[in-house]
Amino acid sequence: MVSVATASSQRFSPGRRFDRWLLERIRRRRGVTDLPRTFEYRHIFVLPTLFGVGFGVVLAMTVTGGLNFNNNMALLMAFTLVSISLMTMFLAYRNQVGISVIGIAADPVFAGERAIFQVLMRNQESRSRYAVCVKWSTAASHAAAGSGDCRDFSPEETLKLRLEQIARRRGYMTMEPLVVENRFPLGLFKAWSVIIPNVQCLVYPPPAPNAPPLPRTGRGDHGAAHKGEGEHFHALREYRPGDPLKRVAWRASARHQKLYSREMETPREEACEFNWYLTGGTSSEEKLSILTAWVLRAEHHQIPYSLEMPTVALPPGLGQEHRDACLKILALYEG
Amino acid sequence: MASDRHITTDTRSMMWVMATLAIAMSLQLTRMPAWLLLIAIAPFMWRIAAELNRWQPMPATWRFSALGVALLVLVLSFGNVFGRSAAVSLLTVMLAMKLLETYRIRDARVVVSFSLFLCATQFLFGQGVLMPLYGAAVVATALIALAHLHRREAFGARRPVPALGRSIYAELGFSLRILALALPAAVALFLLFPRWSSPLWGVPESSLDARTGLSDTMEPGSIQQLFIDDSPAFRVNFRGPIPRQEELYWRGPVLWDYNGRQWETSFWSRNIEARQRPSPGNAEYRYTVQLEPNERKWLFALDYPTVVPNDTRLTMDYQLLRKTSVTQLLRYEIASDPDFVDSPQLSEVLRNSALQIPQGLNSRTQELVSGWRRMIDEDMALAERVLRHFNEEQFHYTLEAPLLGLNAVDDFLFRTRAGYCEHYASAFTVMMRMAGIPARVVTGYQGGWYNEFGNYLLVRQSDAHAWSEIWLEGGGWTRVDPTAAVSPLRVQQGSLGALSEPRHMLDFGWLRELRNGFDVLQRSWNDWVIDFGAAEQSQLFAPLGLRRIDAKGLMAVLFGVIAVLSLLLMPLILRTQGPMRRSPLQGVWLRFLRRLGRVGVASRPSMGARTVACEASARLPDQADEIQRIARLYNDFRYSPSPPGFRDLKQAIKHFKPRKPAKTRTWT
Repeated sequence: MVSVATASSQRFSPGRRFDRWLLERIRRRRGVTDLPRTFEYRHIFVLPTLFGVGFGVVLAMTVTGGLNFNNNMALLMAFTLVSISLMTMFLAYRNQVGISVIGIAADPVFAGERAIFQVLMRNQESRSRYAVCVKWSTAASHAAAGSGDCRDFSPEETLKLRLEQIARRRGYMTMEPLVVENRFPLGLFKAWSVIIPNVQCLVYPPPAPNAPPLPRTGRGDHGAAHKGEGEHFHALREYRPGDPLKRVAWRASARHQKLYSREMETPREEACEFNWYLTGGTSSEEKLSILTAWVLRAEHHQIPYSLEMPTVALPPGLGQEHRDACLKILALYEG
Repeated sequence: MASDRHITTDTRSMMWVMATLAIAMSLQLTRMPAWLLLIAIAPFMWRIAAELNRWQPMPATWRFSALGVALLVLVLSFGNVFGRSAAVSLLTVMLAMKLLETYRIRDARVVVSFSLFLCATQFLFGQGVLMPLYGAAVVATALIALAHLHRREAFGARRPVPALGRSIYAELGFSLRILALALPAAVALFLLFPRWSSPLWGVPESSLDARTGLSDTMEPGSIQQLFIDDSPAFRVNFRGPIPRQEELYWRGPVLWDYNGRQWETSFWSRNIEARQRPSPGNAEYRYTVQLEPNERKWLFALDYPTVVPNDTRLTMDYQLLRKTSVTQLLRYEIASDPDFVDSPQLSEVLRNSALQIPQGLNSRTQELVSGWRRMIDEDMALAERVLRHFNEEQFHYTLEAPLLGLNAVDDFLFRTRAGYCEHYASAFTVMMRMAGIPARVVTGYQGGWYNEFGNYLLVRQSDAHAWSEIWLEGGGWTRVDPTAAVSPLRVQQGSLGALSEPRHMLDFGWLRELRNGFDVLQRSWNDWVIDFGAAEQSQLFAPLGLRRIDAKGLMAVLFGVIAVLSLLLMPLILRTQGPMRRSPLQGVWLRFLRRLGRVGVASRPSMGARTVACEASARLPDQADEIQRIARLYNDFRYSPSPPGFRDLKQAIKHFKPRKPAKTRTWT
């Protein structure tokens, strides 16, 4: 859960170190965040941004010069800017307080893809909020990808914001810590709240890119084909009275001096049987990948399939639900 | 943390950034030479065109060449970059050039921050009553620019940034609202933030380059130049009698040394202090002077100052010389005794100095004067003879004085016979010296315009004047104004009354009146805002009986005031409104729900009026009718095209007193 230390993150970065310290502290003292969470004063931190610090330095220069030359106009302007800057600190806070994170959810993805966490947020009050963003905490691991999402909220509006996280391994992937942040109105101060979500995204095994063909070994429930009718040719047999004339195989009859007629059939429904032991894969991850690829392919060709794992088996079936059930078994397989 | 590192600006925010810089540098542009002006404007043109036509950023080599050319022109036009005007021009040009490479949010923010700094430096050049408008314009635009940059940063480069307000007015309104909220705290900081009684570092003399007013030399044309300048030189508040217009000679630089063309101050007068001072007890006129910063050292006073302000000395020819240049509004108290006798005895050195004239020049004048000298013994009578000459011959008092040759006095007396006060003073003094009478030129201001409304005397640069002083046995140095002989109106009515021709294109009477009236405003601004310093600050609480307040005390009061302001503002800023509390209708409906809640009928926000009513009726069957009626009224009022009176609903809810159902019921 603690971020993976890589070369780039070991560079000295006070902001990141502070964020990491803060995150650990919050995690220790408050644990994971219960959703829904409406931000109150105790959830909101406010600090100057890098730009805010720089702006403060320019203002300090102006005030020093103004004091030295007792230049009252310069002082008046600098002091106005100082109090405006401090005012924006409260505005940033006010822009954040009363925002709710109602819930977070993500649709399952395949390993190697980006999971999209949808953060459902609501402005609980009857005033607008400006440029409220969700971002990954800088203390989050490198799986946290993308630059976050940002929206304006109308009074009492509910919006979905997106955050992307790279799914590396199959199974349940826990969402990295995130922050809800705003720098309204001038970018001098940022007000932010940390959320340590207890939200998982299901990650399916990666489909094998060159899986063996589908094992078409139909049997059981779907039964034999009906002979006699249908469009597919099955065999030739001796003519029996009553066979329709168009079924007579004239050419074959001429060769053998005997009347033959074609026997037709309706193909019986094919079914695939996906078996853990019959994938041809060597490692269990490879087997899971092949099975995943088969499930997707069967689903694509609309061929019913069954899944048999060492611990569990699913009867043949087709459709979204069946697919998700199979993939979930594959994702969570432990062996 | 620095997430703005890679996000680029968009056209909209860039336009606001450029507007901020343009307004901030507008005043400096008027002080820049034409070539530099073009160089400062060109980057704007290029950048606007680039934004509109989606040009690529300029290659780095081009940018650096442009910067090189700009710096070269700057150094060539100013000579150095250490002067104040040159340094601020450098900042201006660098900021303008920065536009060529401003593509990231961070760079744009640097431009805006330093535009504000540039704006602050402009107050070093002047703090007139209109300057707050300039400052407010820069601050307001900068706030909008920063707001746009913030939104650009927040929404990132990919998504089009939603507009901040519906129109530019909404944006302006937004920044003005922030300004208004911040103003009380800003005023408290201004009044209470401890000032420094003496600067940590001074203004280097070499950096002063915007000198105005009289200088320590005089040549034909130097005062005439000031005549078209209507800016105030100083203002005077008299306590007690006000001298007549003809007595208002404000003494400035006294000039002794003449080289045939130019008058200069003398070594003696700069370095020797007055041996005798008039006694303050005899002072007839007592007044306060508010001197506009002119970056020179002279303080102006009527003859002869009996009091010497701080950091100032009184020279042997009764000039008030300050230790450092006047770089900000200066107020000093002074009293003058006009009857004092200046130097009843004249030392040999000074006498020689006051008789020195370049040899071999102006022979015709010498002849004329020698003729008079032979006839007239008495010095004063001779001076009067010369004045009569100016008065009786065809001499003109005019701004359009022809150029004078090597024998300047000869040329003036016999050929051109037209000039401004410095011509007359110069010629008169030379003639006196030729006659063996010690004489010197005094420059300063004469007259002033009495502002009845503000009760003060306003002296403008255009009131600059030059006159003579001759030394008489027994009478000491005596003032003689040759200009008065030619044009008595100059002394009686001021410099403007004496000329028939207008000084420049916009020289209308009504405009002058307007400016004189406007000066009252300027003076109050000076009195109340610009003149405020450490001394005034320590007296801030004098009306409350607190004689002096030190830095610690000021800080304590400042924190107190900020705390009170915060307490007043806090509810406004931090108030959190509950949802669904906006209309009176919802107000009464919530009251109804609360009453139901008290007897155990819970309702959720998802329940409509009818659902609530059904549930409540089921639980309070005794009052079912009443409940249903209220729900119907509520729905009608809310949804019906012809709603019933709100009053009915309000009354119904007011009188609705839910009674708890009997305990025997088992629904709990």
